[in-house]
Amino acid sequence: MNLQLGVLEEMILIILLMKDETYGVDIAKEYESQLNQSISLPAIHVVLKRLEKKDLVTSKMGEPTAERGGRRKRIYQATNKGYEAAKYLQQKRSEMWKVIPTMNFVFQ
Amino acid sequence: MEGDSDNELCISVSSSQHHPPAWANRLLTFFCREDYSDEILGDLHEAFYWRLKEKGVAKAKARFTWEVIKSLRPKNLKSFYYLSLNTMIFRNYIKIAFRTLLKRRSTSFINIFGLSIGAAAFVLIFLYSYQIISFDDNHQNKEQIFLAYKERITPDGVQATYDTWVPMKDRLLADYSQVKESARIFQPGGSVVQNNRYIDEDIMYTDESFFDIFTFPLLHGNDGKVFDDLQSVVLSSEMALKYFKKENAVGEEIELFLPFEDTIMRFQVSAVLEEYPENNSYQPSFIVQMESAPTYDESANDWGSSFLETYVLLDSENIAFELEAAFPDLIETIWGVDVRENTNFKLLPFEEYYDTFIGRKDDAITLLFIGIGILLIAAINFMNLSTAQASQRMKEIGLRKVLGAVKGQLRTQFITEAFVTSLFAIVLGLIIVFLAIPSFNDFFDVTISFDQFSLIQILGFSAILAIALGFLSGSYPALYLSSMKSIEALQQRIGFGGSVNFRNILVVLQFSIALFLITSAIMIRNQISYMTNKDMGFDSESTISFVASAASFTDRDQGIVRLNTFKEELRNKSYISEVAMSRAIPTNWTRSFVFVRPDGWNGDPLRMRYTYVDANFFNTYDIKLKHGNHFLSDTEGHQRESVILNEAAARAFEFDPNEPNVIKIGDFRLNVVGIVEDFNFESLQIEVAPTLIFHRTGDHPVHRFITCRMNMSNLTERLEEIEDKWNELGSTSDFTYHFLNDRVQELYEAEKRYLGMVTMFSALAIVVACLGLYGLTLFIIEKRRKEISIRKVLGAEISGILRLIFRDFTKWVVISFILSVPFVLFFMTDWLEGYHYRIPISWITFAVTLVLVFLLVILTVGYQSLRAASSNPVNHLKDE
Repeated sequence: MNLQLGVLEEMILIILLMKDETYGVDIAKEYESQLNQSISLPAIHVVLKRLEKKDLVTSKMGEPTAERGGRRKRIYQATNKGYEAAKYLQQKRSEMWKVIPTMNFVFQ
Repeated sequence: MEGDSDNELCISVSSSQHHPPAWANRLLTFFCREDYSDEILGDLHEAFYWRLKEKGVAKAKARFTWEVIKSLRPKNLKSFYYLSLNTMIFRNYIKIAFRTLLKRRSTSFINIFGLSIGAAAFVLIFLYSYQIISFDDNHQNKEQIFLAYKERITPDGVQATYDTWVPMKDRLLADYSQVKESARIFQPGGSVVQNNRYIDEDIMYTDESFFDIFTFPLLHGNDGKVFDDLQSVVLSSEMALKYFKKENAVGEEIELFLPFEDTIMRFQVSAVLEEYPENNSYQPSFIVQMESAPTYDESANDWGSSFLETYVLLDSENIAFELEAAFPDLIETIWGVDVRENTNFKLLPFEEYYDTFIGRKDDAITLLFIGIGILLIAAINFMNLSTAQASQRMKEIGLRKVLGAVKGQLRTQFITEAFVTSLFAIVLGLIIVFLAIPSFNDFFDVTISFDQFSLIQILGFSAILAIALGFLSGSYPALYLSSMKSIEALQQRIGFGGSVNFRNILVVLQFSIALFLITSAIMIRNQISYMTNKDMGFDSESTISFVASAASFTDRDQGIVRLNTFKEELRNKSYISEVAMSRAIPTNWTRSFVFVRPDGWNGDPLRMRYTYVDANFFNTYDIKLKHGNHFLSDTEGHQRESVILNEAAARAFEFDPNEPNVIKIGDFRLNVVGIVEDFNFESLQIEVAPTLIFHRTGDHPVHRFITCRMNMSNLTERLEEIEDKWNELGSTSDFTYHFLNDRVQELYEAEKRYLGMVTMFSALAIVVACLGLYGLTLFIIEKRRKEISIRKVLGAEISGILRLIFRDFTKWVVISFILSVPFVLFFMTDWLEGYHYRIPISWITFAVTLVLVFLLVILTVGYQSLRAASSNPVNHLKDE
């Protein structure tokens, strides 16, 4: 598997994997609660579109709600490919972590 | 879980008083792609209410706005295609517009050509008028600048003179706190002395504050201190280039001859001016300080002779009246109560300088209206032809309506067509202007150009013109065509009828404008030819004047001797019959005044012009003696106690010409030896002014001109011969001669230029109007073909059919004529009132115009009508 994923892309992909089904504002809330860092919605939208283009997520339109001014949500779901990609990255990362000589940093 | 949070949010939304900023919302709604808008806008809205709860209104709003802006990335936006809603239909409009243009070439030509001529004329006029209307606009303080001048109250009326005294400036500055700055200007002429040669240049004496009052930015030199010392001179960049071959001439030295002081002085250049616009009342070349004049101290406190202009800069233009009200006291403290009674000080706003001394801004505005008139005529052509064409486009309009086009869309379509046409016309018009500017400048001796405008201004101006023209010419056809009933349109039931009335009104309007212009142009021409041909009261045909002043000789006494020798040599020439010397010549008459009263008067003296002539002056100029005698021969010496009056002066003194009369200047008595007929020494615009003519022989240095009456054949040779003689005299000034005839013509240069422009643009106006008429004729004949054919079959004569066609046109021209008459009367009466010697408004002029325009109309309409009337009716009847 050869996929380039940015840090933000990976984060949001993982949130999607955590949540099963979710949408923009929910992702923003989750991101902020997990990482204690605020994020702008347009940034999330861009990332989602990018992920969708890479077939890592799919989307469908949800139901309209009042607080959205009667607009529908676009609900995103990670695909199997997305799951594989995230897992692959995670694995690779773990493997690489094992090689880091921990001593050098912990007991300095 | 999601459902829960939704409910929670629902409550918070309905209970919330706050909403996202509406403008940001609208912005995004407008630009965001339809398929993304639910997600993006929905998310932003939801996030707004969430943040509202967590972080407060201000932050939520700021965040919302920020996110809206960040959401406006290209990928989220509607394509241009969707943005302009229905570009497809627009493309169709434009396509149809082009097709219509190509399909009806003759009308398209008339439209585009007419409009482009109109636009070109308008732009040319605009460029010229703008120069005049924006005269002196480069001075930033223009509105606060005033020229202080004086008025003499004489029994003849109030006479304004614009010269003031040397100490005036300091007095005004000292006495009135409202006067911020003051500067004197004196321009006596002068020369640059280079290698013993005198080159005539303008030298301006002024004060350093001149640069604070007027806006003349420096190219080189010290802004704060323009003059270093009394030997400093400021040059225009043109002069710097001329004399030093470089712009930065600061520090260079130059010798100037000051005629008023009669000396040569060395100056050092302390600053060089930036190039200034040509439409500027003051065009300084050399600027020196008032105090640089060696004799300045003598006149510094002289309230006797006034010869320079005094300008003041006020805090605000509104206090000018206040100041004028305070002036009488000032006059009294300077000259006493007597003078206070008969003198006013006034302030002339600098904005009125042009109208007072140079020309008439009104003329420029009139021209501008002529330009608008031509544009209007061309726009009316377009309106008429497109509505007339309507019947040929009925099917298209009907079909569009049936297919669901609403009025608004049809309107847009026709406006679009008008825009396409007007855009073409403007581009073509601008090309015409670019090509025409050089010849226009040559022909009218003006200097118009696009230089004073930036490219953006030109493009913007053209765009505005194109849009205005498009709207003007497109709005009526659009309204008319779009309001047709679809069934009628499809059945082509609307014929020529429809809006005949309105169209006729437009034609009448066109011809009224054209008739107005032509009549006015003829009247202006008549007035000018009257002025140039009128007997001026002196012989201008065979007289020639040489500039010959003793002051232009290094040794004045020597100069007088040499000039008299020169005069004698001229007198001995076979081709010269009379020679005279004088201080002034007609067309360059005296501007000196003296106070004079007839013997026995105790009232206020009259302020009157005076000049000096020798005994042969009246003979040479063939000026008729009305009463009394001429001066005695020059051999009798100066006749200091004699004076000859012109009739105007005799009238002013209320003299009985048959009695011996005496006038007094102060206590000095002069006998009136004769009265000459009034001769027009100035433009006929002005009434002949009373003048006192004194006698001095050629031995007196007062004379400045030698006039000869000569045989004008073999002129070049003879002038060369005279020039050779002149060059032997050793004068510092070059051989300069004037034909009096030319001088008289030059008096009316401005009028002739005005006439030229009015004539040219009137001709254009009538050409464009006839162009439209031609198009309309084609169309009317086309529409009435069948009618004409049936009439012919039934036995109508060609003349009868011609009468039928011409009846309408005749009616229009006559109505237009009647409408134009009052405007011509009003405008021309006003214009002619500016001339003291003027022609009466003659009904012949109106008749001539009417006949002229009728002829043009017959020419325009005639050929096509004749062809229609004489064609074989069968050809037009068998096609159904």
